[in-house]
Amino acid sequence: MTRRSWSRLLLLLSLCLLPHGLAAQAPACGAPAELLEPGAPLPAVARAAAAGALRVLVVGSASVLGPGTSGPAAAWPARLEAMLAARRPGLRLEFVVRGQRAATAQDSAALLREELAKHGFDLVLWQTGTVEAARGLEVEEMVETLHAGLDKVRAAGGDAVLIDPQFSRFLRTNSNVDAYREAIRLVAAAHAVPLFRRYEVMRHWADAEEVDLERAPREAKVATADKLNDCLAKALVLLLRQAVAEAKATPASR
Amino acid sequence: MRSLVRGAESPAARTGRRRDLRVDLFRGLALSCIFIDHVPGNWLGLLTLRNIALCDATEAFVLLAGYAAGLAYGSELDRRGFTFAAASLARRIGTLYVAHIFLFVVFTAQVGYSAAALDTTAYLDELHLDVFAEQPYLALLQALLLRFQPAFLDILPLYIVLLMLLLPALPLLRVPGLLLGLSAGLYLAVRLADVNLPSWTGGGWFFNPLAWQFLFFIGCALGYVPRPPEGRPAGRLAVPFHPALAVLAGLLLLLGAAASLITQAESDTTALLLPERVAELLSAVDKTGLHPLRLVSILALTYLLAHLVPIGAGWVRSRAALPFVLMGQHGLPVFCVGIFLSFLGRLALELSDRWPMQLAVNLAGLALLVGVGAIGAWYRLREAATRPPPGQDAAALPRAAASLTNSAP
Repeated sequence: MTRRSWSRLLLLLSLCLLPHGLAAQAPACGAPAELLEPGAPLPAVARAAAAGALRVLVVGSASVLGPGTSGPAAAWPARLEAMLAARRPGLRLEFVVRGQRAATAQDSAALLREELAKHGFDLVLWQTGTVEAARGLEVEEMVETLHAGLDKVRAAGGDAVLIDPQFSRFLRTNSNVDAYREAIRLVAAAHAVPLFRRYEVMRHWADAEEVDLERAPREAKVATADKLNDCLAKALVLLLRQAVAEAKATPASR
Repeated sequence: MRSLVRGAESPAARTGRRRDLRVDLFRGLALSCIFIDHVPGNWLGLLTLRNIALCDATEAFVLLAGYAAGLAYGSELDRRGFTFAAASLARRIGTLYVAHIFLFVVFTAQVGYSAAALDTTAYLDELHLDVFAEQPYLALLQALLLRFQPAFLDILPLYIVLLMLLLPALPLLRVPGLLLGLSAGLYLAVRLADVNLPSWTGGGWFFNPLAWQFLFFIGCALGYVPRPPEGRPAGRLAVPFHPALAVLAGLLLLLGAAASLITQAESDTTALLLPERVAELLSAVDKTGLHPLRLVSILALTYLLAHLVPIGAGWVRSRAALPFVLMGQHGLPVFCVGIFLSFLGRLALELSDRWPMQLAVNLAGLALLVGVGAIGAWYRLREAATRPPPGQDAAALPRAAASLTNSAP
């Protein structure tokens, strides 16, 4: 058994020892825990959190801006910031969100470069793939862009988390989204960065009829979009917490 | 059903060149996989080639399309000369083009329907997916120019360009060394220089024909049967069996299977089992430019199957295999109907993706594809019955490749 799997076992044990009610609350709107396994530690985030200040950059296409929600405060990056602030009142949080409608990986990589030129970030949440899949752009080009971007983040001393496309029956029906998801997954593995499997998580919510934006009646669309963004933020909190715990358990991982 | 399958009579029934039913069987399997993989969210998709190999049904389809083209147009070239063979090839390209445009119209209608059904106009707009609504006239023009290829409508344009490339290369079928040398050269140059045909929505074609032509021409060279000079056996291009080569091919396929299975495992296991270098290498295995690993995988698979399944293997004629053989013998109509049915299958799975619908989509889809093959075969038999019996020479060689129900691609 490696040191990492030991740490995971410990984590699991400690979860079992928690009061029963807490676990039954389904902290991420019922998303299965295995979908929120980070698969890689986030040492820079762990260091920053220990030092008391965390700088987060969110880049991606329109979905980082929370389209269809009741307002900017309901978008998932804003919800994530609020949840982290509530969880760690002493932590100085700085969130920068750069999203563009119909931004490809190349567009968001440009935003990333622009922000990294200003100052460093401890964590970059990079959401990508939806626009590529919708337009049928070259997978290879997206992969190369992601490789270069992630190298840049690491060179700047930060951690990154990749976020794959949203689940949508429409997207699944009318685009070859699996090819892009597969590629994003391999890129995450190649850089040993966590992947937030938003597609699978959202599909689980849709199947479980927990949150299903596409099938929500027109009058409930805004409320459902708010809930979706809130649930996404909760799921990300879980993933980040676990990745930080892993980083603490293996301090010399990089 | 057996009576509908060409060449299914007992292997010794016809002397001379027998129809290689293995090719029909594997083409039929590839066509079914293409239908299955074109219905995203289909559970059967977990059982297709792409899950256990670095290549998938597209590679198999293109290689076998090359094989069929080499066989059919090569024989026309030898019997009736270049002009006739080229004209018949041009006719086939025309048929494919019309089929593609028809499928494009169906696709557009399907997207429109599913957008309306799901009330996702906002979503469409957000993604800029709705290019057709934004610039309908231009979109139509670009589709006619093959520069606008919506998702899952990218194989026929590839096929059209491949046949166009075969047109000037027809005489080279007789000099396979030169043909494959030129083809490999183009493949390497295109990969190194990163050249692709332009696409209207940005970037290049999803399948770069200038790279994929190499696999197609390998198929052509394997399919071409030279007309032997009197009294000498036909010298068809073949890669003889060699134990070392077979072991190498097997090893390659095993490694590919391991890599594919690991990448599909849960993300946690991926990180544990897949070293970063390997993941990086795998992420670079592109389908667009037919990455060498994909090319080598399909060639290794073909090599092993061609040598491990004997040409007269009984199970190829078995009841279970016959539906696929039938599909493979009527490749073009089955392919086009398969793409058409995949649109309907997607709409059905969009409504519900639980198991009753999964079962209905796959059973109905595959049954209809076999039906298309059966109709094609029946038509061919009736047509042959009303014609005066052809001469000795024509009977031994594959017939002209012009009709839709013909065995040619």
